[in-house]
Amino acid sequence: MKKNRANFLIMNKTLKWKIAIHSKTLPLFFLSLLTLSVDGLAVEVKGLVQLNYVKADEQSSWFDKDTGILAYSKDSANVQQAFIELSDNFSNGLSYAVVANYYQLGEQNVGISQAQVSYKPLSSNKLRWRGRVGFFYPKLSLENVDTGWLSPFTYTQSAVNSWVGEELRAVGLELTLYSPGRTRNSPVSWEFHGSLFKANDPLGTLISWRGFAMHDRQSLNNERVPFAPYPSVIQQDRIFHPNYVEPFHELDGNIGFYLGTHIEYYKQSTLRYYYYDNQANPLAVSQERLYAWRTKFHSLALQHKFDGNTRVLGQWLSGSSVMGERFVYIDFDAWYVMLSHKHKAHRISLRFDKFKVREDDIFPWDPNNSDGQGVTMAWRYDLDKNWQIGVEQHINWNSADIRATLSQDIEIDQQQSLAVLQYRW
Amino acid sequence: MSKFILALSFICTTFFVHSKQITVSVLTELNIEVANVVIYLTPKNPTPSNTSNEIAIMDQVNTQFLPHILAIQKDTQVRFPNSDSIKHHVYSFSTANTFELQLYKELHADPLLFSKLGYVELGCNIHDWMLGYIFVVDTPYFGKTDNKGNLTFDLPEGEYQLDIWHPRIQDDFSSLSKQLTLPGESEIKIILESPLLPDVNQYEEESGEFSDYE
Repeated sequence: MKKNRANFLIMNKTLKWKIAIHSKTLPLFFLSLLTLSVDGLAVEVKGLVQLNYVKADEQSSWFDKDTGILAYSKDSANVQQAFIELSDNFSNGLSYAVVANYYQLGEQNVGISQAQVSYKPLSSNKLRWRGRVGFFYPKLSLENVDTGWLSPFTYTQSAVNSWVGEELRAVGLELTLYSPGRTRNSPVSWEFHGSLFKANDPLGTLISWRGFAMHDRQSLNNERVPFAPYPSVIQQDRIFHPNYVEPFHELDGNIGFYLGTHIEYYKQSTLRYYYYDNQANPLAVSQERLYAWRTKFHSLALQHKFDGNTRVLGQWLSGSSVMGERFVYIDFDAWYVMLSHKHKAHRISLRFDKFKVREDDIFPWDPNNSDGQGVTMAWRYDLDKNWQIGVEQHINWNSADIRATLSQDIEIDQQQSLAVLQYRW
Repeated sequence: MSKFILALSFICTTFFVHSKQITVSVLTELNIEVANVVIYLTPKNPTPSNTSNEIAIMDQVNTQFLPHILAIQKDTQVRFPNSDSIKHHVYSFSTANTFELQLYKELHADPLLFSKLGYVELGCNIHDWMLGYIFVVDTPYFGKTDNKGNLTFDLPEGEYQLDIWHPRIQDDFSSLSKQLTLPGESEIKIILESPLLPDVNQYEEESGEFSDYE
C-alpha cells in the first residue's frame, strides 16, 4: 500500500513537472474564447506571409544539427514567416490575442507563439493598471514591435531577440501599473510591470552550448529546438543531455518572476529595463534528461526617434545561467545598436550586434565559451498596404570553443543574403 | 413678381445692413498667437434654434484624433469613423457625455448625440497617448482660431457674450469672457495672463507606427 502510494506520488510529481504547456490545452482554450467572441463582436484577423529566397552560408544551421548560427543551410526558396493573429476587445476591458504560426524551418511547423487574455479597465485616473495571463513575451524588446512579434526593421533579428524568440516565453500572469503622460499634462509616461510565471525552466540551454544565433524563428508552444550533437553534451559518460531543448517546460515547480519598467518621453524616446529570473532549480531534470537552468538577466533597451522617419535603437542583455551542480555555468552579454530610416515607402535599417558567453564551471571537457559580432543591413519597400518587398545582407564573425569537440574550426565567418516578398492583411 | 423682388431686396438689405464682421485674436502673455482656440459668441436675445442636421466628424487617423479639438453646437450628432487599419476603443468620462465606442477597422459605429454643454475629453483604451476634445456650445456663432490665432465672424447686430476655451489655457475662462455690442469694435484681442500648459501635442507627431506594443 505504502509502495503504491509512493508510486502515485512519484507519478503525480512527474505529471506536475511534465505539464509544461500542454500542446492541446492552449489551442482548445483559445478556440473556446473565439467561439464566445464570435457571438459578441467581430474577431479581428490579421495575417502575414513572407516568402524568401536565401543565399545561405556554407556552414549548416543548428536546425540541421550543425554549428552555424544562421537559420538556413542551403540556397533555397522558403516560407520564412506565416501567421494569423486573432484578437478581439470587449467593452468591459477584456481582450484576447492568439498568434498561430507556420514555419518551414524547424521540427514543429505549426503551433502557437503567443496566446493571452488581457484586462485593461477603462479609467480616467492618472494612475492605472492592467493585467494579462497566458503565454506571452515580456515587452522587453523595442525591435520586435510589429504584429506577431516580428521586427519591421530587419529579417534577421538581433542576437538578443533571436534568443528571446527561441527560448523565452512566460506562461503566467503580468500586472502593470502605468501612467500615461497626457493624463498629467506631462511629456513623460511610465509603466511598471511585474510577472509571475512558470514553464521556462530550460532557458539558457541554447546559448550555453550553441551560443547566440541570429534569425527570426520564434519557438512555438511545446516546440523542440535541435542543436549539434556535441559529444560532451550527449554522451552518457558526459553531461548526458539530448541535443535539443524544449524551452517551455516546467521541471521543478518553482515560480519565476520578472520586473520591468518603461519610461517614455513623449513617443520620442523610450527606455525599457527588465530583470528576469526563472528561479529554476538547476538540479531538476526531466525523464528525457532536460535540465532546469537557473537563468537570470538584465535587459536595457533604448530608442530615440530623431523625427518621424529616423530612429536609433539598441538593447543590452547581461546575465548568467547554471545547470546541474555547476555542470555548466555561463555569464552572457549581448548588445546591438540599430539605425533605421524611413523615406516614403522605403525603410533602410543597419544593425551591429556583439555577443559573448563565458563559462566558469566544473567540466573542462565541455567548453562553453563563444562570442561574435555581426552586421545586418536591410531595405524594405511597401508596394501598397498589403505587399512589401525587401532584401537583406548579413555577415558575422563568430567563435565557439565547443566546435572543437566536433573537429570543426572554432572561428568561422558567415554570411547570408535574403530576398523577401511579404503579404499582410 | 414685384412683391417677390421687393421681399428679396428687403431680406438682402436687412442682411447686409445688420451683418457685422469682427475678428477675435488670442495671444499668450508673451504675445504669441494661440491656434485652435474655440471662440463662441452667445446672443443676449436668443435666436431660434437652427441646429443643422449635419453630422460632425471626429476621425482617428494615424492613431490620433482628427481634429484634435472639435467644436459643435448643442444637439449635434458626431460620427467616429476609423481611418486607421487598427482598432480603437474610444471613451469619455466627461460629465458632458460619458460613453465608449469599439471602433473596428472598416466597421462604422452609429453617431452619438451631444446635448450637454461643455468639453468632452476623448481617450483610447488601446493607445493611451491619444487625446482629443469635443467642445459643445449653445450658439450657432462659434469656430476655432487659425494658426495666427485669429478667427473672423459675420454676425447680426446685437448684444453678445464672447467666450473662449482651449485645454492648454490655465486662466479662469469666466475672467476671459467679454460682453459685446454690435456694431462696435471690429477687432478684439484676448491676452492670457497665465502661461499655457505644456504642449503635449508632440505625442501626436511621434505616435506609434507599428501595430504591436510600441
